Amino acid sequence: MASKLKKENQAEFKRYKEDVAKEGKPFFPYAIFHDTVMSLVVVVVIIALAVIWKYTADGTEAGILGPLYTEEADPGTTNFIPRPDWFFYFLFYLLRIFKWPETVVLGTVGVPTLLLVLLLTLPFYDRRPERAVLRRPVAFVAAILVVISMGVLTWKGATAKEGSEAVGEVPAWAEEQGFADDPVAVEGATLFAESGCLNCHVYLNAGGQNLGAPDLTEEGLKGRGIEWQVAHLKNPSSKVPGSQMPSFATLGDENLTKIATFLEASKGPQG
Amino acid sequence: MSDEPEETPEAPGHSLWPVGFSIGIACILVGLVISWPAVVIGAVLTIVFGVLWIRDTARTHAPVHSAPAHELMGDTPSPGLAAAEEQHLETYGRAGFLTLATIGLGGVIGAAVVLPSLGFAVLPSFTGAGIETNEVDLGPLENFPEGAWVITSFIGNKAQGNVSKRTAYVRNNGLSATKEPSFTIIYSRCVHLGCPVAPNGPKFEEQAVTYKDVTLTPVQPAGFGCPCHGGAYDTEGNRTAGPPVRSLDRYAFSIVDGNLVLGKHFSVGTVEGTGAEARIQRYPVAYPGVHVDGISKWLYPLPVPGA
Amino acid sequence: MAKSARQAQIEQAALYPLDWVEERSGLVGYTKWMLFRNVPRDVNWMQTLGSATLTAFIVQAVTGVFLAMYYKPDPNSAYQSIQHITNDVTLGWLVRGMHKWGASLFIILMFLHMARTFLFGAYKYPRELNWIIGVLLLVMGMAEGFTGYLLPWDQTAYWATVVGININATAPIAGPFIAQFLQGGAQIGPDTLAKFYSFHMLVIPGGIMALIGLHMYLVVRLGVTSPPWSKVAAGRPRDVAPPDGYGEYREGLIREHEQEGKDS
Repeated sequence: MASKLKKENQAEFKRYKEDVAKEGKPFFPYAIFHDTVMSLVVVVVIIALAVIWKYTADGTEAGILGPLYTEEADPGTTNFIPRPDWFFYFLFYLLRIFKWPETVVLGTVGVPTLLLVLLLTLPFYDRRPERAVLRRPVAFVAAILVVISMGVLTWKGATAKEGSEAVGEVPAWAEEQGFADDPVAVEGATLFAESGCLNCHVYLNAGGQNLGAPDLTEEGLKGRGIEWQVAHLKNPSSKVPGSQMPSFATLGDENLTKIATFLEASKGPQG
Repeated sequence: MSDEPEETPEAPGHSLWPVGFSIGIACILVGLVISWPAVVIGAVLTIVFGVLWIRDTARTHAPVHSAPAHELMGDTPSPGLAAAEEQHLETYGRAGFLTLATIGLGGVIGAAVVLPSLGFAVLPSFTGAGIETNEVDLGPLENFPEGAWVITSFIGNKAQGNVSKRTAYVRNNGLSATKEPSFTIIYSRCVHLGCPVAPNGPKFEEQAVTYKDVTLTPVQPAGFGCPCHGGAYDTEGNRTAGPPVRSLDRYAFSIVDGNLVLGKHFSVGTVEGTGAEARIQRYPVAYPGVHVDGISKWLYPLPVPGA
Repeated sequence: MAKSARQAQIEQAALYPLDWVEERSGLVGYTKWMLFRNVPRDVNWMQTLGSATLTAFIVQAVTGVFLAMYYKPDPNSAYQSIQHITNDVTLGWLVRGMHKWGASLFIILMFLHMARTFLFGAYKYPRELNWIIGVLLLVMGMAEGFTGYLLPWDQTAYWATVVGININATAPIAGPFIAQFLQGGAQIGPDTLAKFYSFHMLVIPGGIMALIGLHMYLVVRLGVTSPPWSKVAAGRPRDVAPPDGYGEYREGLIREHEQEGKDS
């Protein structure tokens, strides 16, 4: 069996060499011309990106292609949100999928190593000499799936939202949600932004989606009332069974009431 | 002259010299890591057994037919020389000896160049002391009001400068039941993959204080959250949600002349109880993502030297 | 056309240096063979991705060499040197920008090239070794990206590296050792940046260049495949007659008819 395959392969390669010798065209200039054109495109694209980057950004201010550099490294920071280079986004998002502590090692090394091994040993488990795409259904479908899943993971990694320092967003939120005239709600919004709520909740397109936390943009429309909100903040799983949200009781009653007021005033974008 | 079988005229006989030689080499290598006397012993063994081995292989048990060689050289050996040559055994032959010697010496040169370089590249990572955060003076106790949290950023090692800057969340727990001062000092890096953990609560930047190169900012956290992958912790550093594999790391502390002084950094399995009465399961410092208890700790059985 | 004596003389003079080198090294002959060797007549534009990737790598190597003349690999001065390169040094912004975006292009082109090779089935006999070398090149390319990301020593660089090193630490048994080796100690310290710089500038590029050399040698030796859908693929079974009009092929922008092989 194996030697039949080998003979087939060798015969095909022999035919290949004959065909190339008889019907082939010289690499220079026919093929190398195409290579040169493509290389020129590559160099032009690189230079264009460099130019656009420089002229739309300004130091740490981001332009279309991001900032020229961020702040100097501060190993003691408490408010920076790390991100890898874009071509690692698919691995980054994989880490968010494997979010149970026992499965962490799968997401960090298990899955990537397995995929790498599959990639490396490809010529050893796909030995058929068949090259036509439509006659390699398994290979074709597998390739499509890999491309799609890597694309989706990369895109989700790129758009993964964060509980960033949204304190600066509070005035804009007040405007959009229409509670700018309620100082208690505005204070509550500031506390909401400072207390890491956006690590798990989404609010008006800010924040992250983690652990099944609901979007709070229209929380006020749910008719729960301030008392419910305060009780929930003190002990989430007593109001929402199975909730993974930790208690915020240590913020104190006054602060919790402000946050509750803010939540009840959040009725979705007003006009 | 014994007549050894022709089929293996060049193979040296069984001997223990190579074993001794290898043991000598092994001693040298191990000794380089552990102790100098072992290196000396290893060197002696290597040389002694090496010499014995080479002598042995250069000797032979089968007769050499030296006539063809002499024909080639176009000379005829005198009878005395011929007899001596017959006596004198070159089964191994010059070619064989030179091959062995070249490979052997090449190996020695290679080892002499590569091993120290590799050692230099790899070993210092495991023999250094990391960033010493012992004995960092965080300032007078007045800066740590009882029951309040303070974000404390300090330089761990003055010689290394800013690269050793670290942050800890410090809470003065007052006095414990046994009348000892108690502090909860939590390291600010997430134990999932090391991202900076943020306090979930308002920070009071305008009340920040500086003591030498230590910055102290009051904060009122309801817990701690990590922005990277959704890890969340309570105020004792225990994991409440997300992928973190254990509780947040902590620092030991001491009080010297009314100042809070940072001690050793250690890892924590879980914390039971709160504040001054907390019972903390301590472990030596482990990397983020490394389980220290439970079944999964067996994935990481070997302690890393120098950690 | 008979050559005039003058023409022959000029030709002689021009070719003399080439002959001199050829006699003493054989290089000219080899280069000629490489340049003028035959390739299948139906090679496709998709097959330019490999050389495009090589171009991107050369851009990286050249811009990297020039950046190294201004960059300072010490945590206390790295960030300032990057600011200096970007803001003060003449055309520094361009070289740095080309290096940064060239890295992304390099990775993208490698993935596209790999996809094309997979599509064409060009990892099968006798090109298996080339595929393996290619995957290793991909891994090394991404390692280059990872080590280079730390060098500006800004917040993005530092924290992405912290997480990346800790990801290594989660590997069972050997993980913490790998992480400690990468960091140069128990925490990221002053040695980490120098080590990453050494990897980024010397170790990994050395490996990449060696593997690229091997990769290209194999391509030249084993030949490039025809597209699998081609009716006139090199290596096709002999019982299939070429289609009508075979012999007609487009050479770049020039169309030519060849009379050979045209029956009727």
